[in-house]
Amino acid sequence: MIPAALPPEVYRALENVVGTEWISQDRAIVETYSKLSLDAEGFLKKHRRNPSSIPACVVLPGSGDEVQSIVRIALRYRIPFVAFTNGQMMSAPTQPVPTIAIHLSRMNRVLKIDATHLTATLEPYADYGQLMAEAAKLGLWNGGTPLATTLCKLSSQAAFAGIWQTSKKYGLLDRNIVDIKLVLPTGEVMHTGSPAIAGLTDFWEYGPGPDLLGVIRASAGTTGIITEITVKLHTWVGGEVLPEPEAGRPSIPGYCDERFDHAPPPPGHEVYWIEFPDYDSEIQAYREIAHAGIAIGLNASGVYSAYYCSPTQAMTEERVREQFFPSFNLYVIVAGIVSGEQIAYEEKVLRDIAGECGGRFLSGEYKPEVLQALAPWNLDCIRNVCGYRMNRRMYAGGSLPSGTPEVAKYHSRIWKEALERFGETHITDRGGADTTTFIYGIEPSGRYTLSETDIYPDPIDPESLEKCIAITLYSAVKNAAERQCTPFGLGGPAEPFVTFFPEQGPNVHLLLRRLRKVFDPEGVCSPGRQVLTEEELKAFPAHTVEGINALRELFSMKRIER
Amino acid sequence: MALEKKQLAAIFGSERVLDDVNVLEQYARDQSFAPRRMPDFVVFAEKVEEVTHLVKLANETLTPLIPYSSGLNFNGAALPDHGGVILNLTRMNKILQVDEENWSAMVEPGVTFEQLQAALMKKGFRMMIPFGAAPKRSVLTSLLERDPVMAAPSFEYGNFLIMDTELVLPDGELFKTGIWCAGGKPGGPMGPVRNVIFRLWTGAQGTLGIMTKMGVQINPFIRQRKMFFLSFNELSDALEPLKRIQRREIGMECFLLNRFNLAALLSEEWGVPDSFPAVPRPSESFENLKSILPPWILALCINGAPRHPEEKIAYEVKALREVCRGLNLELTESLPRVRGLERVLLNEILHPWGILKKFNYRGSVHALTFKSSLKDIAGLEAVLKETCSARGYSTSAVGGYILPLERGRAVHAEFDLHCDLSDGPETDRVKRLWLTASEKLINRGAYFDRPYGPWADMVYQRAGNYTSKLREIKRALDPQGILNPGKLCF
Repeated sequence: MIPAALPPEVYRALENVVGTEWISQDRAIVETYSKLSLDAEGFLKKHRRNPSSIPACVVLPGSGDEVQSIVRIALRYRIPFVAFTNGQMMSAPTQPVPTIAIHLSRMNRVLKIDATHLTATLEPYADYGQLMAEAAKLGLWNGGTPLATTLCKLSSQAAFAGIWQTSKKYGLLDRNIVDIKLVLPTGEVMHTGSPAIAGLTDFWEYGPGPDLLGVIRASAGTTGIITEITVKLHTWVGGEVLPEPEAGRPSIPGYCDERFDHAPPPPGHEVYWIEFPDYDSEIQAYREIAHAGIAIGLNASGVYSAYYCSPTQAMTEERVREQFFPSFNLYVIVAGIVSGEQIAYEEKVLRDIAGECGGRFLSGEYKPEVLQALAPWNLDCIRNVCGYRMNRRMYAGGSLPSGTPEVAKYHSRIWKEALERFGETHITDRGGADTTTFIYGIEPSGRYTLSETDIYPDPIDPESLEKCIAITLYSAVKNAAERQCTPFGLGGPAEPFVTFFPEQGPNVHLLLRRLRKVFDPEGVCSPGRQVLTEEELKAFPAHTVEGINALRELFSMKRIER
Repeated sequence: MALEKKQLAAIFGSERVLDDVNVLEQYARDQSFAPRRMPDFVVFAEKVEEVTHLVKLANETLTPLIPYSSGLNFNGAALPDHGGVILNLTRMNKILQVDEENWSAMVEPGVTFEQLQAALMKKGFRMMIPFGAAPKRSVLTSLLERDPVMAAPSFEYGNFLIMDTELVLPDGELFKTGIWCAGGKPGGPMGPVRNVIFRLWTGAQGTLGIMTKMGVQINPFIRQRKMFFLSFNELSDALEPLKRIQRREIGMECFLLNRFNLAALLSEEWGVPDSFPAVPRPSESFENLKSILPPWILALCINGAPRHPEEKIAYEVKALREVCRGLNLELTESLPRVRGLERVLLNEILHPWGILKKFNYRGSVHALTFKSSLKDIAGLEAVLKETCSARGYSTSAVGGYILPLERGRAVHAEFDLHCDLSDGPETDRVKRLWLTASEKLINRGAYFDRPYGPWADMVYQRAGNYTSKLREIKRALDPQGILNPGKLCF
């Protein structure tokens, strides 16, 4: 595998911006930057000795000004660039041409906590954990962390994902962004919201006039590089310091240390676990709880309990096999923001609903050993660190449709069908097939929700990776064909789930192409990631096109012609 | 090729195409200071297909199209700056669906607040409505223009009410956002491809597309509600209490009204006008109330919940009293010498158009509507007062409404100047004051996030790159510039 190289004058120009120590084209280093997590296709490229996911160089800017200079150099020489933070996904070159990888890891500061405007401003590599630690000192927090852990960067999640366990009250991250400072692919700097106006501070998120945040959020990072993000803060009643053990929970397969798994909920918060006899009662209770206007978090955990709450991988698998955790459940996070009496009131409502729906609270009397095993969630529902345990195996694909709460049951049916057709890659893939999917409460009144199932293949086994892709695609195409819920389940605003599914919108790809051209007329910012141009479509790998078209035909959808 | 009447008649039928001068004149002006502009035609759409045909025809003939849903924007947004066709959508007025299980409703652009609220309340639901919305204001347009609803202090229930949408793009193609974007049922805002791209069309005054359907969030109507009041001599005195109440997340609706606006709302002689501008007329009770009311009142509504409503109200009231005790403030459930205030405001929250009585004062109202941070709002009020005083406009004739947004992260402010448009010198004077005050407020940090009329230049000249991108997007989506030209930065 010989990766593409940059012209020497480009490399020198970049070196002049960041200095010699913050740029490299050393093979050993750039290879590291080509390894993704949530990208089975990327791993398969390695097996196939395809070098196209290896960048030509990696550069680490230390400031927004340096990012701007790098973008301008890339633009001058028409060299594509890909900016990223953790590199969990979308950090590899999207096309087999020399590409500059811009790693933002040096821009890692929380720049401002503004207790007056209830906002926090962060550099792109500042993570949820840093933000929470700083905001809590002032009795504030940002409203949640993703299941993918506190190490996630808010700037990355502004372009993709941003789903929290407490999204029931606080919504997704996109509801919590006040301002994005963006280096556009053309090299200019743009703000959204009130700071779009010269001299104004960041207190309001919309406008002026038509709101561009919606376009940026839809772009999967292709409208530019976020160099600062300002997010909303909310009242926090959990104390200045979270009762966190001194270290996170390791994801080493055989590692077990009891000390990390018994943190209590933060002050002013309670976490309740309710078991249900079946899907219907779980969904009924979900809707009733949301309608009651209580709780900051409302989710069903499904197979994730086995991962997150098991200190070893062996224990995870054993607990899945034995169905140690309730197959149908809800966990409800309650906070006493108005006063402590709010918790008593909300618990009373919760008990009413559980009783009506046939649910039972896990308690000292009912399944105490299960409740004790679930203790890691006490803290992690607020500040998630046990999500690392998912990565004991490779987390490489999944399905995430959105719809009314019933979407979960529908999703389970499709998921089970896909697993039966292709076979599972690991026992934990079955989460959501035989049990509840992970149901995210993402809206205060339960009007719509997200349902998640995931695949955990073996990255050193190409067959396992191919199976992962097949399951992901099958469930996505079937989902699109049946139109029971949103094609959110196709995986995100990224190809091939845009151009190859013109039913969305319809023809959302044509609209996004026009918007892409506005922001990135030279096509240098992660080209082909969000939406393909006609030329890029023609150059798209034939085997992927054929695979999707075969599935489209299977479900009586028209082929996509190039 | 100039657009001909027969081409419109082929789409709409001749009875729905109007070009009578007297009719056109009605669409040439509104109650704002915006200059008179005559359209060439007015057409009444009844179906989405007619809208798509019209947009394609407008592209072929380079004819400006101005979407018109209720004509109650008050800011000139539906006036035909470049002539063209007024696309009247008032006949697309069906409530297409009320989903009682998942708490949403699907409306066409002609559905009014009055219509929707009445339909919902019959089913035990309510719509969140902006204070001062006209009863016949289009629900769809109001949400699309980001009019903040009275529940806006609540992060969860007041600021993200748009679900699925259907719109006609400037090239005439139909496009859906939200969960139904691939042809399934509506039910949420995310989509296509898991995003909230509908936000692009908010605050756009119909310049980037014509929205023909919108899913909106609805909520249950809880009978158990309780109003509380705090009185203040200065706006600045109200800010710390407001902040503390909001940070404790007490109550749902919460707002500040100055004595002018509260007196107008409570006036016994005035009614809500049928048309705008209204005919000015005196009110004795308004003048009396203005002399006895405190300069500012903070009104807070604590709502019950679907389950155990009284218990929820009880713990919130207890917390509210605690906050007020800590600030040594007198919390009241009424105001001295004002009868039935609680009843009036509880009704106003559900049907918030009583405040439109203020149009009786001088006939037209010219609002300075902007966002600000909580800490800056008193300073901005002072700027406005100074400007009014310097230009001989009585500060006691300025209406004031302050709405905290998302627990006080920001505030929405509406300060009104009043003017009799039939009085030329007065109109000139107030218009100059309104423009000067707008400029001064913007210079001092007021954020006019919905830049109507002359505010557009003031705002967009300060937003270089954002403005450039908007213009490029407009060119990309509407290369012929047919949709509501002359608005915003287009």
